[in-house]
Amino acid sequence: MSSVTALGVRAPSPNPETPFRRLAAEFLDNRVATGSLIVLALIILAALAAPWLAPQNPYDLAKVTVMDARLAPGERGSAGFVMWLGADGAGRDMWSAILYGLRISLGVGIASGVVALVIGTAVGLAAAYRGGWLDALVMRLADLQLSFPAILVALILVAILGRGADKVMIALILVQWAYYARTVRASALVERRKEYIEAARCLALPPRRIVFRHLLPNCLAPMIVVGTLQTAHAISLEATLSFLGVGLPLTEPSLGLLIANGFEYMLSGKYWISFFPGLALLATIMSINLVGDRLRDVLNPRLER
Amino acid sequence: MVFVIRRVIQSLVVVLVMSLVVFVGVHVVGDPVHILISDDMTEQEIERFIHQLGLDRPLHEQYLHFLANAARGDLGNSFVHGEPALKLILQRMPATLELALAAFLLAVVCGIPLGMYAGLKPESPASRAIMAGSILGFSLPTFWVGLMLMMVFAVMLGWLPATGRGEFMTWDGLRHLALPAINLALFKLALVTRLARAGTREAALQDYVKFARAKGLSPARIVLVHILKNILVPVVTVLGLELGGLIAFSVVTETVFAWPGMGKLLIDSIQRLDRPVVVAYLVITVLMFVLINLIVDIVYSLLDPRVRLKEAKA
Repeated sequence: MSSVTALGVRAPSPNPETPFRRLAAEFLDNRVATGSLIVLALIILAALAAPWLAPQNPYDLAKVTVMDARLAPGERGSAGFVMWLGADGAGRDMWSAILYGLRISLGVGIASGVVALVIGTAVGLAAAYRGGWLDALVMRLADLQLSFPAILVALILVAILGRGADKVMIALILVQWAYYARTVRASALVERRKEYIEAARCLALPPRRIVFRHLLPNCLAPMIVVGTLQTAHAISLEATLSFLGVGLPLTEPSLGLLIANGFEYMLSGKYWISFFPGLALLATIMSINLVGDRLRDVLNPRLER
Repeated sequence: MVFVIRRVIQSLVVVLVMSLVVFVGVHVVGDPVHILISDDMTEQEIERFIHQLGLDRPLHEQYLHFLANAARGDLGNSFVHGEPALKLILQRMPATLELALAAFLLAVVCGIPLGMYAGLKPESPASRAIMAGSILGFSLPTFWVGLMLMMVFAVMLGWLPATGRGEFMTWDGLRHLALPAINLALFKLALVTRLARAGTREAALQDYVKFARAKGLSPARIVLVHILKNILVPVVTVLGLELGGLIAFSVVTETVFAWPGMGKLLIDSIQRLDRPVVVAYLVITVLMFVLINLIVDIVYSLLDPRVRLKEAKA
């Protein structure tokens, strides 16, 4: 099939270059970033498919027996399968516990990230578009909060709110909103002065339409980058809080809690109970960070490519 | 001078706002009776306590009362220890400061040379390894690194003690300090390395460096005097601000290594619902942060007069 018609106009090729395709190609150009993306995808898949991948439901009391407690990696448990990563103090297969823990860690991290993204974006856009006292108030608040380290703010909130999955989520959202608000405000302030916004204003479009259909899509690139890096941060923060015993309750065993469980066995040399969940946590955080770093390079128009 | 006064006033405003946040957090969001009174009191004791604390009075009066007490250093007694909460916190503070300063020194002493090397020879394999290590330093969760350090150096090799604190500045004290300090330093080490590298790469291309080279100065002198001096300003500023972060993160390290500092006390108090100590910790930490930020701002304005001038214009 010829790509040139009788009129001399090129028919659309089967693979037209879209902005998304261009960015994707550029992203995949980097081997480290591609590898990280694959690792991240595998981790998310493993978390989603935990019930099918895990040889045992680690929280089904009928399946777990104390007879298997603290089995070393590679030993055969009483249920007949080999526990490649060993067993914890209650006889749970570590590999299964990690898969289920990943679900909770990722779930809490991503959910709180998304809510914080929505709140922060709304607040930041409103501040940038309205300006005046609203802008001043929001930004002073964000400045004040960001002058304290996230871990401290989270600890304060957890100390006030108390323990529980919902409380931890609230703390994570409150810790993160300011980053999003600041980022979206900064780019919205730049975009707001451009001609297309002026044109939209001249057409007397309602403010809501201008903000959401014109302003927001043009502020998305930095939001994606901050969103990725913040999610890694949130996962790490939740794990830290849970490890300290002020995060998720024992009924929601995230990776942080698994590591905390292994703490007491550490001094007697039973490293695997803490080591493997930590490795899973590290792989998750690191792959998200590397993907985020690459996204920043790809989405930043100022960088020479 | 105007600059300093304005900064001091701003800091006071921050302290007031934070006191309001703590107050609102304890008295409005949470139930003050639940937060300030221990759970094992009788009905009558609770009644008397509510009156004694003034919880039956209007909110604005309560806030003023809280401020007045806080200004006098009275932040209530610990339920668990029965001593003034503030005293408990201040007793633990030297341990935390020792740990934070040791980590700070480690991060600077190792981070600046590593970063400068990576900045001077960006293509060498060692530099690539340093940069990869710094990404690792950012991604590794502090508490897990702490566990692993303990596992390897205390349990497997038996070189260093796993938990506790020794006498200050003795051999035993240093041995106890080593693992927690390394643990706490890692994140900042990664940060300093990156800052020093970026600064060195920028400085190495500047005209004064070219001139120094053309003048025939030895490479060692160019690096150690001309470049080092110019990367110090941003590094010192960021580090000053990060000192507060070290104190906050010491909560994690102290818990892992059972280091008897403020952070360990905070976590113990949160878990035992010893709320006056939690409030006292918050007040002290907020004051420390505001003070650190104020000092860094002032020092920075002395190092770089442009900051003051820009502020005066705005």
